[in-house]
Amino acid sequence: MSSAQIEIQVIASLVAVACAIPGTFLVLRKMAMISDAISHSILPGLVIGFFITQDLNSPMLILLAAVTGVLTVVLVEQIQKTGLVKEDTAIGLVFPALFSIGVIMIAKNANDVHLDVDAVLLGELAFAPFDRLIVSGVDIGPKSLWIIGVILLITIALLFAFFKELKLSTFDAGLATSLGFSPVVIHYGLMTVSSITTVGAFDAVGAILVVALMIAPAASAYLLTTDLKKMLLLSIVFGVFSAISGYWVAHWLDASIAGSITTMLGLLFLIVYLFAPSKGLIAVMYREKQQKIEVSLLTFLLHLKNHTEENERHVNHLREHINWQKIRAKTVVDLALKNNMITIDNHIVSLTEKGDEFTSQAIDYIITNQDTQIEDMKDDFFLFRG
Amino acid sequence: MLGSFAVLRKQSLLGDAISHAALPGIAIAFLLTGTKDSNILLLGALGSGLIGTFWIRGIINKTHLKSDTALGLILSIFFGFGMLLLTFIQKQPNANQAGLDKYLFGQAATLVESDVWLMALITGLCLLVLVLFWKEFKILLFDKDYANTLGFNTKTIDILITSFIVLAIVLGLQTVGVVLMSAMLLAPAAAARQWTNKLGTMVFLAAIFGAFSGVFGTAISATQNNLSTGPVIVIVASVFVMFSFIFSPNRGLLFRQIRFIKNRRDLELHKTLAFMYHIAKSHENISHPHTIKILNDFQGYTKSTLKKLVDKNYVTLQGNMWSLTTEGFDTAANLYNQQLKKDE
Repeated sequence: MSSAQIEIQVIASLVAVACAIPGTFLVLRKMAMISDAISHSILPGLVIGFFITQDLNSPMLILLAAVTGVLTVVLVEQIQKTGLVKEDTAIGLVFPALFSIGVIMIAKNANDVHLDVDAVLLGELAFAPFDRLIVSGVDIGPKSLWIIGVILLITIALLFAFFKELKLSTFDAGLATSLGFSPVVIHYGLMTVSSITTVGAFDAVGAILVVALMIAPAASAYLLTTDLKKMLLLSIVFGVFSAISGYWVAHWLDASIAGSITTMLGLLFLIVYLFAPSKGLIAVMYREKQQKIEVSLLTFLLHLKNHTEENERHVNHLREHINWQKIRAKTVVDLALKNNMITIDNHIVSLTEKGDEFTSQAIDYIITNQDTQIEDMKDDFFLFRG
Repeated sequence: MLGSFAVLRKQSLLGDAISHAALPGIAIAFLLTGTKDSNILLLGALGSGLIGTFWIRGIINKTHLKSDTALGLILSIFFGFGMLLLTFIQKQPNANQAGLDKYLFGQAATLVESDVWLMALITGLCLLVLVLFWKEFKILLFDKDYANTLGFNTKTIDILITSFIVLAIVLGLQTVGVVLMSAMLLAPAAAARQWTNKLGTMVFLAAIFGAFSGVFGTAISATQNNLSTGPVIVIVASVFVMFSFIFSPNRGLLFRQIRFIKNRRDLELHKTLAFMYHIAKSHENISHPHTIKILNDFQGYTKSTLKKLVDKNYVTLQGNMWSLTTEGFDTAANLYNQQLKKDE
């Protein structure tokens, strides 16, 4: 592993961490699309900054771009406040307009300089180590490493300083206001941090990857935990993992690093989405199926309880009466048998004592809708667990 | 046109997501066939756009993640994957590969006649489906549960609308590119929304706005060098939106402000009149003159409100003195009653 390779991985990991922190809050605050909007609309800020300074590397650029980012947020909110359109429409209107302005400005005025739309959008991590920061003649590492390092430090400092406030205003804005925190200040603070992170990260990894790094780890983590601290930690781990693995995939395929990191993020999310223990697709589907069977079981038991006459309880009649298909009826009857709730004697189904008791309890529950009465049943069944 | 549905269904950003999600489809289609035939590429784009859309749905329905997260996620991941494939393709020894990235930003100038015909065909198809299923679309849009109870298969209609939105987006990609497609979908519809409350009119207006911004945008970009068509069209469309926001008669900001000021003036007038009424009530003769001074410490009072009251013949002025007319007295007495009646 050459030093350039290590540097690329370090930069990618730092970017991942820097993005994961504000990203978590954006996802929780349902503002994930704002990051997409910001990443596009910083373009005019960059272009104007470039016109002023004529230097692609000046910090002025980052500052102006961040200002444009915040401006986007303000614009979106202003449009939304008029009540003429919904929030998502407002986002969808603002950022393409700003982006177009940026593209046109580049096309009109900066055609002959190195300011390429592709480069802005996609970034090129592979070149990052070649852009060194040289202080008084000493090479102290790649420039993007320093930029993103500083941003990360600021982000972490802010996170520790305002963790309580952020947490409160994210989950209960009303309470936060009544306790004297200003949600507006925190909101704009978060937006500013997101903008700066986006800007700082994008010239290393490109605008699209920034969005992916903000949203994907946080979304994956959100599926795994509901604890804010754990979620932050998990998303950081996810981010770093995909950054490093993505680099090696790119190395192997000889393709864009940004693209492969995003792909790794996507794969990670897909795995979590499918297999997350309680909120993953498979778990949810399994639970839904279980609940369906249990509802059927309950219907079946209630039916038995309501009919004392033997001909109503004949196995064949039951299937007609409740109108179930063969397989489903069999599953339900088997389940009931296994739980000792029914006995089948000469094709006549009858409730056992346990089944009778269970059914009465279930009726009680349905009528009164009180949790206390079914406490002891909860262990056996999904259905009553909420 | 189809954008109207997207805007009303609060799926505005879907366009953005789909247009990004179409990229890997283009790349895969190219990898598989090795040709740059636009029809095949569009087919690929359509495929991956649809996959993206339904995955977004899956995430929203099956997990507790919100729609914005799902959109952002799919958008960035698909796009990143597309970029991976594109850069991968670029490294391949295939001379054909150049020009794939034109789909990123779009270049209306590169369109050839067959593309235009294809577009016209698909637009016609959209129109036909729209007319055929107008009632179903409408009912699904505004009251989904009702549509369900009426026995419409909401899922099928839903998929139909979504597919057409995807189709429209994929077609537009060639013209304005990935980034700006969402604006093309949204802006005309958002502008049209300001002018009408009727779905039919809105769709019609959106189509007109869209066409106009296309024509103007192309015209402007043709007059200048170095001006790509896509961004210009988007900016023209944005100007339309802005104009609509400000000047539309019912919802526009300008008229709303005017109405607001007018209401405030009316209120002030009423306040002054009510104040005068209470003073006048304490005298036997209602037109007993009072000095204007006593009105001064009262907030609703200004010279212009007084003058307006005179104009309306509620008050007569004599030098520094004012007095209520019978008409003014009656109106003031009925002021609150009237408002009560209106409230009912």
